[in-house]
Amino acid sequence: MLRFIARRLLLSVPVLFGIVLLVFVLARVIPSDPCRTALGERATPQICDAFIHRYGLDLPIPQQFVGYTGQLLHGDFGESIRYGRPVAQILVERLPLTVELTFFALLFATIVGITLGIISATRRNSPLDVGTMMIANLGVSIPVFVLGLAFEWLFAVVLRHTPFSLPASGRLTPGLDVIPLAQSWGLEGLTGPVRVVIDFVGNIYSFNALITGQWQALGDALRHMILPAVALGTIPMAIIARMTRSSLLDVLGLDYVRTARAKGLNERAVIIRHGLRNALLPVVTIIGLQLGLLLSGAVLTETIFNLAGLGLTLTESVLGRDYIVIQGVVVVTAIAYLLINLIVDVSYAYLDPRIRLS
Amino acid sequence: MHRWRFLSILMTLGLVLAACGGGSSPTPSASASAASLPPFTATSYPTAGPADCKAPADSKHDAYTGEFKQIKAIDRYTVEFDLCGSDIAFLSKVAFSAFPINDTAYLEAHSKDKSIVQVPNGTGPYFLKEWVKGDHITLQANPDYWGPKAKNQTVILKWSTESAQRLVQLQSGPPDGADGIDNPGKGDLAAISADTNLKLYPREGLNTLYLGMNILDKPWDNEKVRQAIAMGIDRDRIVKNFFPPGSEVATHFVPCSIKFACGGDDWYTYDPVAAKKLLAEAGFPNGFTTKVQYRNVDRAYAPNVPILAQEIQSQLKNNLGITATIDEQESGTYIDNNTAGKLPGLFMLGWLIDYPDMTDWMDYHFGAGSGAKFGKPFADIAAAITTGATKTADADREAAYTLANNLIKQHVPMVPIAHAGSATAFRADVVGAHSSPLTNENFNVMQPGDRNTLVFVQGAEPLGLFCPDETDGESLRTCLQINDSLYGFEVAGTKPIPALATSCTSNPDFSVWTCTLRQGVKFHLGGVLDANDVVESYAVSWDADNPLHVGRSGAFDYFPGLFGGFLNPPIPKPS
Repeated sequence: MLRFIARRLLLSVPVLFGIVLLVFVLARVIPSDPCRTALGERATPQICDAFIHRYGLDLPIPQQFVGYTGQLLHGDFGESIRYGRPVAQILVERLPLTVELTFFALLFATIVGITLGIISATRRNSPLDVGTMMIANLGVSIPVFVLGLAFEWLFAVVLRHTPFSLPASGRLTPGLDVIPLAQSWGLEGLTGPVRVVIDFVGNIYSFNALITGQWQALGDALRHMILPAVALGTIPMAIIARMTRSSLLDVLGLDYVRTARAKGLNERAVIIRHGLRNALLPVVTIIGLQLGLLLSGAVLTETIFNLAGLGLTLTESVLGRDYIVIQGVVVVTAIAYLLINLIVDVSYAYLDPRIRLS
Repeated sequence: MHRWRFLSILMTLGLVLAACGGGSSPTPSASASAASLPPFTATSYPTAGPADCKAPADSKHDAYTGEFKQIKAIDRYTVEFDLCGSDIAFLSKVAFSAFPINDTAYLEAHSKDKSIVQVPNGTGPYFLKEWVKGDHITLQANPDYWGPKAKNQTVILKWSTESAQRLVQLQSGPPDGADGIDNPGKGDLAAISADTNLKLYPREGLNTLYLGMNILDKPWDNEKVRQAIAMGIDRDRIVKNFFPPGSEVATHFVPCSIKFACGGDDWYTYDPVAAKKLLAEAGFPNGFTTKVQYRNVDRAYAPNVPILAQEIQSQLKNNLGITATIDEQESGTYIDNNTAGKLPGLFMLGWLIDYPDMTDWMDYHFGAGSGAKFGKPFADIAAAITTGATKTADADREAAYTLANNLIKQHVPMVPIAHAGSATAFRADVVGAHSSPLTNENFNVMQPGDRNTLVFVQGAEPLGLFCPDETDGESLRTCLQINDSLYGFEVAGTKPIPALATSCTSNPDFSVWTCTLRQGVKFHLGGVLDANDVVESYAVSWDADNPLHVGRSGAFDYFPGLFGGFLNPPIPKPS
């Protein structure tokens, strides 16, 4: 197993290199004026000269690339052209939101998707099956931006004076804050990688609030996550539901399931213990793939719900020609994709002992 | 089981640490008082003596083009600006939020490491309580503010690029939504107007979209051709169909709420028959072939430029028989081409106000130093503009700008099309809500119903809060709440009014301005305002070699834009 993981990680290096190279070159060959995009159109030629020199944009692209990869190997993502701050700092501030949103979206998609799939499969061709699959088809068909805006209008405007009211944007109600983890733990003086990790974890608001007992903030953070997570998770939920149904129907028709029933096992045990476990293998593959898609779907969801995660950061950076941030976001996203794929592959072995990773 | 045990231990540990921890927010200083002022030694900049107003380029620096000669603290509360020439618009310029006064000690301690970009130390009605990057900014009312106290305790600034999102937040209202939003979408205005819980505040468009021509190129060197274009474009149709409500067809190049802007004749009325006659007289009875050039960027003065270009292309063909191809260029290249006079054919450009004075608009476009934007400046227009910028009496200025307007109409270096409007919208119970033509809304005069917190959603996150080095409206609006300049602008207006200076008066030819400072003004995080703070604040922006000439980008765009140039300007790289 360890050899398999090590080999996969090694194979990831050239993939990552290729992605970095591609994004680096693409960002620079698109016609644009990073100076005037960042500084405004009244920036004089002298100001732009100094600006371009400061970010090394006057160097030949290969030389810029060598410099950038050298920085990356030292863990330095560079400095944002737009914000004038280290990209690593921006990523530590913003990636946790995307992690949090993706987690809740996947949680919603998995729990609701598998449940709907089981209900549908066990009541095949019944009105319940038809209704569930209609919901699934609808979920796949509605784009995130339509669903998101519809949710905002319904829950934040139409239902605003009812108990079903939900916030349309942001992470917390204005005026409410989550105390940073380093502050809660009295580690404000701490620096270095440990502090970065603490800040990163602390910026996952719901987790921070949970482990530090900030119950009001926890409730508020979760309340703010409901609409974006459901909007983001609806398409994966629908796909997972359909895949679970189809896979479970296949398995429930196999001989060993009939044997289990013949042995007198109750239906619940047959489905959960014998059917579902074997039916889950393709579902896990789909969940893994969806996790990657969720990261890209977050671009739209975060923009619509005004959540400053990696997706919104990427959008802002592309519009603001902030090459350095674009590269940082892509590198982090690519690493996340590669890790997710690795985890999915490893999980196969856990779910089906017949699969040997070597 | 082991995992749950670990999690429960982690949670318990977290709870214990949470109980032990505690947080504090920065609070304004209450330390300094007038009774404990340190001894004062007046400074000046440059310390060695006045700058050479005609300093040529040397091996290290480009030639000096700025209008500042020296800034001097006369005494603790008096500061003098010596200029290289007269500047009648000085008060309008120093009122701009890009020229706040900072505490000298704070500048020295926090400029080099750029921490001032994140944590400003102003004298304004609010101090910065927190800036949660990407999410919101919280401003807290300044208890020591020198002016009227803020009518709310807290302002929370949020942002969203999507107008639909901003509208939902406004409709949702507090506590989760917003009390006010900037720039509602064109399609949302009807919904806001129809909702009794909301109120729309149209914002006058202090901007101009124009269609320019290079008078050195054929056939634009023929005045009759240019006049034909001026008469042959149906500007009413363009504004009605493509501009947001509140926009108006331009009667003059400068919007009429700027003093002296609309003296002289209104622009040509739409008359395609007369236009075709003029074209025939110019030797083009069947039209000719040209280009409509533009850059595809989103600007307040130009909603959806590609569509506007298509409309103009169509009108040229239908009204004048001129065949035009459309040429979209990358923004930076387009600006460079315009500056170098390399845009053959018709080109769409615009202007957004920097400060409310005719000099801001006229000098850049038509003044003697306006360069090759329209090929070359017209000598008679430039002379009238120079007169307008240097005369002291209102009547003289009015006469000069009336003449300039009439000459612009005669020569037609460009066709002014529209002044595009925008708006803010607030919950109906927000007393004192307004929109500012300069996009500088003052939140301290707004009382949001019976609430203490005002939530406002703007279009983007501020890039930085050291505003001498910022140009985006979102940063400048935020800075306005935290900082004060020597002068400010009246609420919802364009008239400069005293702020940190109780008055600034000039000598007869406007070349020396002397400002008397308000006494006892405290900075939020320590320090009491004196004349040396004014000298240092301006010196940091003015001198490109000043070690504190550091900010988020280090560009300090507005200083050379408004005051002519940096001291010790860097030498441009050969292109």
